[in-house]
Amino acid sequence: MKLLGGACVCVLLTAALVSAQSQSRDALPDWTGVWQMMGGTVFDRATAKSEGGVLTRGQREQPPYNAEWEAIYQRNLKLRDDSRLPDPINTCGTPAGFPRLMNLPDTYEFVVRPEQTWILTENGPNTLRIYTDGRAHPAPEDRWPTYTGDSVGHWEGDTLVFDTVSMRMSRYPESGDTVLDRTGLVLSDAAHVVTRLRKVNDELMEARMVIEDAKALTAPWNVTKTYRRLQKGTRVYDYACAENNRNPVDAATGRTLILGPDGKPLGDVK
Amino acid sequence: MRSIEPSGVRAVRYLIVGLLVTCGLLAGSPALVAHHAGTMFSEDQTKELTGTVKEFQFTNPHSWIQVLVETTPGAPPQEWSIEWGSPNQLSRQGIRPSTFKFGTKVTVRVRPMRDGSPAGSFVGAKFDDGKTVGRWD
Repeated sequence: MKLLGGACVCVLLTAALVSAQSQSRDALPDWTGVWQMMGGTVFDRATAKSEGGVLTRGQREQPPYNAEWEAIYQRNLKLRDDSRLPDPINTCGTPAGFPRLMNLPDTYEFVVRPEQTWILTENGPNTLRIYTDGRAHPAPEDRWPTYTGDSVGHWEGDTLVFDTVSMRMSRYPESGDTVLDRTGLVLSDAAHVVTRLRKVNDELMEARMVIEDAKALTAPWNVTKTYRRLQKGTRVYDYACAENNRNPVDAATGRTLILGPDGKPLGDVK
Repeated sequence: MRSIEPSGVRAVRYLIVGLLVTCGLLAGSPALVAHHAGTMFSEDQTKELTGTVKEFQFTNPHSWIQVLVETTPGAPPQEWSIEWGSPNQLSRQGIRPSTFKFGTKVTVRVRPMRDGSPAGSFVGAKFDDGKTVGRWD
């Protein structure tokens, strides 16, 4: 009986602790609706000095890379201009990863629950789970790099503040690790992102990210992405990337191909 | 979580949001072809093709319009592959699988592939009845 009583106290204490750490359902903001990122899928529009959109060539200013990583980015830009950047999402097999997940076309949904918030992207599709039940990141020896990493957060009023680590990043897009956009932005396995996500008003969501990377960056890199609400009733669909992928990456050359109606590559494939 | 504000302030706020949304839409148009970089297409050239629709692949990650283009009278037509956005994006702009019906005569403007292959990125189309789709100024 004493054992049972002790167990009950323990359960009650745990429940009280979790309740104190996570926001009650009534206090959570309303982020319902279907949203779409504003602007092209260049990760940081604020750094673009001329061209550099998904369809355009051109040079862009860099994030605050150190010399070593700036050279890596310049290499990737050249590969991009030659249609040889081995962008992992061209293979239709792996998630976009974080923080690229905040930088996708198609729709977004922000599902707020007391213990977790989910960011659902139609493109991919991808899911980012942000734990808000008071848990911490796993100890370094208990985690390994994953595409979306590990995100834990808390509420500051109507703003969700979350911390993401353990993302699958490296200097080599050839390895299938996350690149942040079509220009070939990459970060190291030391990348750490703090995101402040909030609804500015009924038509606009905002994600302010502060990206730190002791191996690749010389200073924190501030990126803001915004999302507009689509009209009420908007449906979200499958995004079956492998359904009709006529842009595979040639394994031998790294070139993104265009397949003709017979399934064979068009043009110069060397 | 709701605040009450004067209607004038609200109107200005909506105007700002409207401008932001418009800017976002304009800046966001390249995302229509976002599954891969578009560097294989010529960004400073537009080619106009006239032919008949062979097939409209309303599929992910991109839609494709297959058009049979007559190049030389009496010669077999050349098949062009024209890449467009995902059905998810296009459907929200009113495009449907029936927009390009089999056998329909159409004139299509594309950003052609740099290497001269019969493929391009969709810009706009005009049908015989004068109806247009995409950008057609």
